[in-house]
Amino acid sequence: MLERASPAPRGPRNSSPSIRGGGRGGIQKRRGGAGPVRVDKDGDLVMDPTTAGEKRRSGRGQIEGNAPSRGSGRGRGGPSRNASAGVLKAQQAIMRGIGAKQANVLESRITAPGSQLQVDGLNESKAASNPDGGLESLLAFLERKASALDSKSNRAIKIKKSLKKGDSVIITANPEDIAAIQKLDSFSFAGSVLRIQAYETQSPPTKGDKKDEPSPSAQETKERLKAVLASRYDGNLKLLNLSALAQDTGLREMGVFDGTTTTSKIFPALMVVCDSLFKNRQEKRDAIVSVTLADNDLADVADVTALAQTFPDLKNLDLSRNKIAQLSSLDAWGQKMKNLTTLLLTNNPIETQLATLKTDIMKRYPFLEYLNGVQVRTPEEVAAAIEIAKCPIPLAAPDFRDVGQVGENFIRQFIVLYDSNRPQLLATFYDAQSVHSISLSLTGPRDSKGPIPSWAPYIKHSRNLTRVTNLPTQMSRIHRGSQAIQLVWSTLPATRHPDIQTQADKYIIECNPLPGLVDPSGQSPRGVDGLIVTMHGEFEEQNDSTDQALRSFSRTFVLGPGGPGGPPIRVVSDMMTLRPWGTLALPRTLENTQPAANAINPEQQLQEALAIELGRLTGMTANYAAMCLTETRWDLEKALVVFNANKDKLPPDAFMAGANR
Amino acid sequence: MAELTQDQEVKTAIEAAEAFVTSYYPALNRLSGLKDLSTFYVKNDPSSPLKPDISLNGNLITDTTELETVFERQPAKTHYEVLSFDCHTLNSNYNVGAPNDLLEMNKLGKKMSILVMVSGSVRYGEGGETKGFTDNVVLVPNWELFGKSPKNNLKKKWLVQTQKLRVVF
Repeated sequence: MLERASPAPRGPRNSSPSIRGGGRGGIQKRRGGAGPVRVDKDGDLVMDPTTAGEKRRSGRGQIEGNAPSRGSGRGRGGPSRNASAGVLKAQQAIMRGIGAKQANVLESRITAPGSQLQVDGLNESKAASNPDGGLESLLAFLERKASALDSKSNRAIKIKKSLKKGDSVIITANPEDIAAIQKLDSFSFAGSVLRIQAYETQSPPTKGDKKDEPSPSAQETKERLKAVLASRYDGNLKLLNLSALAQDTGLREMGVFDGTTTTSKIFPALMVVCDSLFKNRQEKRDAIVSVTLADNDLADVADVTALAQTFPDLKNLDLSRNKIAQLSSLDAWGQKMKNLTTLLLTNNPIETQLATLKTDIMKRYPFLEYLNGVQVRTPEEVAAAIEIAKCPIPLAAPDFRDVGQVGENFIRQFIVLYDSNRPQLLATFYDAQSVHSISLSLTGPRDSKGPIPSWAPYIKHSRNLTRVTNLPTQMSRIHRGSQAIQLVWSTLPATRHPDIQTQADKYIIECNPLPGLVDPSGQSPRGVDGLIVTMHGEFEEQNDSTDQALRSFSRTFVLGPGGPGGPPIRVVSDMMTLRPWGTLALPRTLENTQPAANAINPEQQLQEALAIELGRLTGMTANYAAMCLTETRWDLEKALVVFNANKDKLPPDAFMAGANR
Repeated sequence: MAELTQDQEVKTAIEAAEAFVTSYYPALNRLSGLKDLSTFYVKNDPSSPLKPDISLNGNLITDTTELETVFERQPAKTHYEVLSFDCHTLNSNYNVGAPNDLLEMNKLGKKMSILVMVSGSVRYGEGGETKGFTDNVVLVPNWELFGKSPKNNLKKKWLVQTQKLRVVF
């Protein structure tokens, strides 16, 4: 316990009626159905008095209604939006064999033009005597200078790769970064003038021994591969059937499986052509949900590593009837196909050890739901795993532990007054000891929407201590007392914060008691209790430009009881960090964690595909084929054996009309 | 008694904030660092009025072992990066949990409470999307180091009393 009972800060004496008018609701503790532990966690920020009651009864946490769902968009449950359009396009592209502009997709994939630069001059520089030949300092120099030149964009230039080639250094970066770095041509670096030019690969890698074969041109190869893919794609099931490639008549006609050419050669080419049919990852993800690689004699996946690169978002994978003996045989795919929900390994040597390998397989595929037709995770477990992967610390409702509504009242007044009347705000809550500073955090992630409005009005105040490293500046950028703070605020652009009553979803506000603040009355040597209030949100800046200028901010206040003659509640500390605008990460509501009820079940898709195939082979109706497959755990081959053993006992209605029995 | 000058106060606060920022987030980035996580916080000692108050994304963490469990859920290669930080002295003569003979102001600012606000990015695992976080911590003196022998040098001078970490983007 504290030495002195906490003189809980009193409510402000003269709150403006418009703010207090709301009366109930607002920032306050919820004492709801949840257990005793939850009570403390559930800060509730329901400001609108007319709806607060209703929302409360619905029993959910704060921020209701139009909170944008940032939920299960990525990596789960198969496509739902725009899926059909994407599939249609992909199908058309596959069918017609069009859609690629380059003459040779295979080659154009190998080097992305314009992403490499050749830098000369390092050898003549003083840095060349460094242990690493000066490479590190050269790269650091280029990144720093290019970022500085490009300061408007607030973007850090990054060199992805570097390679010493003779006296030159070849660097790889994003095209836009390349453009920025290229501007450093003829800059001087450690006593040497740098020469920077686009790097051209002298001879793009050719397809090896293709030349001495009388093979069709690359274009023709591509068209044929497209035809093969088209014949193996089922648009309804979003299934790409790559089973038994060695028996493929199309590929055989191309002569790929006679003699030396094998799956290891043709598979990457197939994948490259397949990849070229889609404009982007999303389109590919929507079009191809399942792949079967059954019957390919695979002892490991080395020949088909390209699958993981091409389909990192794949949901269902059938590896049945191969020769895979251990889990390490799948290592060539690495961590890439993390989103698999179904994996079939039936009729592989590994099958006998699945019971012991299950845990390892589940670890490797964190969202795996079905392994060989057996459910290993419930949809709820998968949904939880996805949420944890996105953010391992669940985004809970704001932790708002107010004392006597002091934090709530302060925030309500602060938001209104900071926009409308900063001097009044200072007079109401700040005193001669209040401390304020602003820091800019500009290089973090943001929503990529248009240009960032200039930070100029703030830069001279920024006390970002990763950059401001000399004491006089550190001193001058901390503002003590209402007068000094007013001087700064008067230079800052006018702002408009979202209305906290109607747009509560634009804020996350948390608060808890904080012990050990200075007692302004001087009575308590051990200090007094106050509150720490953190507010995350956004405001719109009023400037000359017609564009909307949004900033994201986090602002932390430490509030304590005021001294004699001062405001009853004083701001001890007011610290603001400004960031480029980005949608605030809101606590997860129930809707966000529940998978969409109408989402397509990928497992079901694969099973339907198997049932259709069995029906085709046996003449059974879809229902009977499905029954048969259920008994054999969706193993087509076993189902055929069972069928052949029992076909005479089947009733006539087990067969499709006109089926050849 | 000599007073704590404003220069000294600012300098000490920044040193404390910097020491925290440059050791705490790297510790979060290493699985092995998580074991030491509790050393950053004030101890939950029933005999002391000083209590850690930790809230991560709104989840109240009641003790520092629970804290380790929470961070252990992070995928491998999780990476926190500090992009900015700032700090204010809240109380230049902080006395919660202070021994009775240490209630006087320390002119070097060793007895302050310091608010540190950190803004950064975090990527949960390789290939994860980069998120933005804001962390607020209140650092207070590690009373164990006062009036003790120099063998305590390895211990942290400042401990987290309050933390409010939130993924904000």
